[in-house]
Formats: sequence, C-alpha cells, structure tokens
Amino acid sequence: MDLLLDAVVIGVLLGCFYGAVSIGLSVSFGLLDVPHVAHPAFLVLASYGVYIINEHYGIDPLVAGLLITPLFFVLGLVAYRLYYETFEKRGTDAGVRGIAFFFGVAFIIEVLIIMQFGVDQRSVTATYIGKSWRIADMRIPYRMLVAFAVAAALTIVLTLYLSRTFMGRAIRAVAQDQEALRLMGVNPIKVKQWAFGIATAVLGIAGALLIIVAPVEPTLDRAYIGRTFCVVVMAGLGSMSGTIVAAIILGVAESIVLTSFGASWAPAISFAMLLGVLAVRPQGLFGRRS
Amino acid sequence: MALSLVISGLDAGYGAVKALRGVSLNVRGGETVALLGTNGNGKSTLMKCIAGLVRPQQGSISLDIDGTTHDLARLSAEDIVDLGVAMVPEGRRLFPRLTVLENLMLGAFRKAARRNIDENLKLAFATFPVLKERQSQLAGTMSGGQQQMLAIARALMSSPRLLLVDEPSVGLSPLLVSQTITKIGELNQKLGLTVLMAEQNFNQAIRIASRGYIIVHGEIVVAAKSVDELKGNDIVKRLYLGGAA
Ligand SMILES: Nc1ncnc2c1ncn2[C@@H]1O[C@H](COP(=O)(O)OP(=O)(O)OP(=O)(O)O)[C@@H](O)[C@H]1O
Ligand SMILES: [Mg+2]
Repeated sequence: MDLLLDAVVIGVLLGCFYGAVSIGLSVSFGLLDVPHVAHPAFLVLASYGVYIINEHYGIDPLVAGLLITPLFFVLGLVAYRLYYETFEKRGTDAGVRGIAFFFGVAFIIEVLIIMQFGVDQRSVTATYIGKSWRIADMRIPYRMLVAFAVAAALTIVLTLYLSRTFMGRAIRAVAQDQEALRLMGVNPIKVKQWAFGIATAVLGIAGALLIIVAPVEPTLDRAYIGRTFCVVVMAGLGSMSGTIVAAIILGVAESIVLTSFGASWAPAISFAMLLGVLAVRPQGLFGRRS
Repeated sequence: MALSLVISGLDAGYGAVKALRGVSLNVRGGETVALLGTNGNGKSTLMKCIAGLVRPQQGSISLDIDGTTHDLARLSAEDIVDLGVAMVPEGRRLFPRLTVLENLMLGAFRKAARRNIDENLKLAFATFPVLKERQSQLAGTMSGGQQQMLAIARALMSSPRLLLVDEPSVGLSPLLVSQTITKIGELNQKLGLTVLMAEQNFNQAIRIASRGYIIVHGEIVVAAKSVDELKGNDIVKRLYLGGAA
C-alpha cells in the first residue's frame, strides 16, 4: 500500500514534468495542426543549451532556460516559416510530408549534438539537484518539486496568454477557422508563426527541466516522442489545463508500472495509452473535435 | 464622410473555374444595395474579392473615402479591414469554441479597432442585447439566429463604414430571416453604415435595399436603379417572382 502511495505521488510529480515538456506541443500540434515530431529533439537541444550555460558560467539551469527562450522563440519562427514555405503552403498532403520534414529536422539535431558533444550523458549542477525532501516515510527529490512548480507556472501563464490577449485569442481561433480570421484583418500565417515561436520558446524552460530531472544524451528525444504525443492527444488537442491532467495520468501510470513490473515496461506505456485513446476516445479527454 | 465603392470589369475565379466575368457595380455612401443571385452564381466570390480574400484576375475595386481612392484589388485583407470594410460571411463563420465575448474581441483585432473597443462593444450589446446576456457562452452552442447576430456584431467591432453581408438568411427560419434583415436595415438607418448585401431571398432583400443587381453565371445581368425597376424586370420575374421559365 505504501509502495502504491509512493508510486502515485512520484507519478503525479513525474506527470507534471511531462506536462511541462508537452505543453509546447499542445500549441504546435494541438492548436496549429503542425505534425511537429521534432518537438522532443528541440527539447533535448534546449537541454544542451542549458548545459553549456550552466557548465561555463555556473548559472542556475532554470535561469539558463529562461535565457535561451528568446533564442528558441526565433528558432521556432524560422522552423515554422521553413515548414510553411516548403510544405503547408502546398496543400492537402502537407500532413504526411510534414512528418517527414520534422523527422529530418530531429535527425539533423541529433547528429549535430553528437558531433558537438559526443554520445556521453551530460548533466547540470544546482543546489536542488541530488537532495530530497523527507515527508512521512517518503523521499521526494527536490528536482521533482521544481518540475512540479515550473509546470504549474507554465500552464497558468500559457492559459492566461491564450485567453486574455488579442494574439492568444487569435491563436486559438486559427485552429478553428482561418478564413474567418482573415476577415478580422488577421493574417493566419503570421499568427501560426508567432504561436510556433511561443511553443518553441517554452522549450527553453522545458529543456532546463529535462536536464534537471535527469542527465541527457543526444538520442533522448526518441523516448519523448511517444510521451509528448500521448499527452497532447489524450488531453484533446489544444487544451492547456487538459495537457497537465493528461500528463499526470501518464506519469502515474508509468510510475505504477515501473514499481510493479520494472523499468523496461515504462516506455511502452505512453504508446499503449496513445493507441488506447485513439481507439476509444479520439477527441481526447477534453476534446476539441466534436 | 464621403464613401463610394466602384467595381469595374472584374474577373475572378478558382484555378480553371471562372466565377466572375467583367463585373461592374457601385455602391454609394449610405446606401443599402442588394446583390441578388441563386446558388453558385458568384455572389460570395464578389464579396470575397472586395474583402481581399480572393484576388481578382482583372479589373479594379476602388474604394473612395473622403476623396482618397484605394484599389482594394491590390490591398491585403488586413489593409482592407483597416480602411473600414467588414464582412459578415456566408454561414456566419464564428469561432465555435470561443465565447461570444472572445468572438467579439477578435473582431477588434486591428490596432485601430482596439482603440474603440469599449464603444463598439457597447454598440454591439445595445444592438443585440441577447449577446450581452450570453457573452461567456461558447459561440457554437448558440441558436442559428443568435449566431447570425454575433456574426454581425463581430463585424461591427472593427468600426466599419462599409458592411458586406453575405446571405444572412441562410439556414434561418422565416421569422428570424425577417428579424435579421430588419436589423441590417437599422444599422444602415441609425449608424449610417453603407451596406452591400448578397441574398437569394428577393422579397426580404428588397425590404431594406434601395436598389440592386442580379448576377447570373458570374455576370451582372441586371443593374436596377430602384426596387420598382427590379420588380418590373423580366429576368427577376422569371427567377424570383414565379413567372414562367
Ligand atoms: N474555393 C473554391 N474553389 C473552386 N471553385 C469555387 C470555390 N468557391 C466557389 N467556387 C465556384 O465558383 C462559382 C461561384 O461560387 P460562389 O460561392 O461565389 O457563388 P454564390 O453565388 O455565393 O453561391 P451560394 O448562393 O451557393 O453561396 C461556383 O461555380 C462555385 O462552384
Ligand atoms: Mg455564396
């Protein structure tokens, strides 16, 4: 019983972390319909950026994550432009070819990281890494609490941005009716590009969390394709708070499976849940497609 | 405020499909003009050309405001909204998963429109009180009539001078059609909005229009100077007034 409680608590924290690394995708794929399979590769790239700053200047990884967000915002703007000009603009089969495009991007990022850093694991140092908080009989790593807090902050900030600002409302509208948006004098391509920039900027901070939670290696993105897409699809494309709830469900499921059956099963959970959701409730838990 | 819209020799289409051929039409400030035609004759295409959603292949769309002429055929949809042209599209085209208020706010997206957002919101709510009551409801969950009101109100949020209304009667019950048309007439009367309205419903359209055009297969076949002239026209009798084919 204690073991189960342990697994659930850790699972909730793990889930919040998954939420933080998925929330950008719930904008880019969830709201914009861009099949962004390079999302986890960008995430890992951000971790390496944080690693460099932390290694060279001893700056706290979260602060480093904040520092690289403008860079990632621009990276997002460029990536979307490239995708738009080469694929989306040409119409109907953009989806499938878009996936190929983003797989290519992910592959290039992996290779670049390997060329620069080799295949060894990299990690960062911070006061909250390696220590735990003892409560009752449990030991909760501080780094997981950091992940929890950052995930909550990201969700709140993004939700407010999407509901309270003119641009945020336009981002939610662009998924619903682009032509109608043009009638409001809004250029949907610019809106999508901006939103993609934001979705990518968020990865600066998510990348910091990734390397705070555990060391990273160049191909770590592969472990997160299933997880991030599972979370976003389960959430029901485009819901920010839904993303966190779905991520917590995944985190708890993984954590329970991990304690009861062993670590080798954990990576399969997200794909199993993704397939399950697609079969039973394709619109997701908080689905937008009705 | 002097305003006039003069369209001349307009050709437009979609790939190989020609939707408009040599269309000429004008609307003067303060008028309500009807663009009449049955399904697939090019009404929406013409409206979209004016709003900058469809690029004409030939011809010009001149909007004259206080002595300055703008060729809408060369401007982007964004610039056209800034000039004071707003469209209520066919089928309403609301953002169904946004609230009523959020839909209205999107109507005021442009910088110039944001400055007048409070006044325009007041105006929208005064014109359609039901929208105020339902401002936090999702647009997609409202009835057809309420959605049409929201679509009109959303267009008002950009402080338009020229309102393009594309088939406001589509999908509404006869009573609601009549109410909606009356509202559009009031906007013209009370706010001095210039209105170009595409319709299939002849009898409803002529209640508020002072004159009209008939479009058939992408060509203007009748340009009538008054409602009486429209009613007396042979083509109109054949198409709308139950005359022999
Ligand atoms: N996006 C499009 N792609 C290709 N052809 C189109 C497109 N939109 C309209 N058309 C064609 O252009 C012609 C004019 O269509 P349009 O929508 O302007 O007519 P309409 O008078 O508005 O008809 P309705 O009363 O049904 O709204 C039709 O033949 C239609 O099939
Ligand atoms: Mg039409």
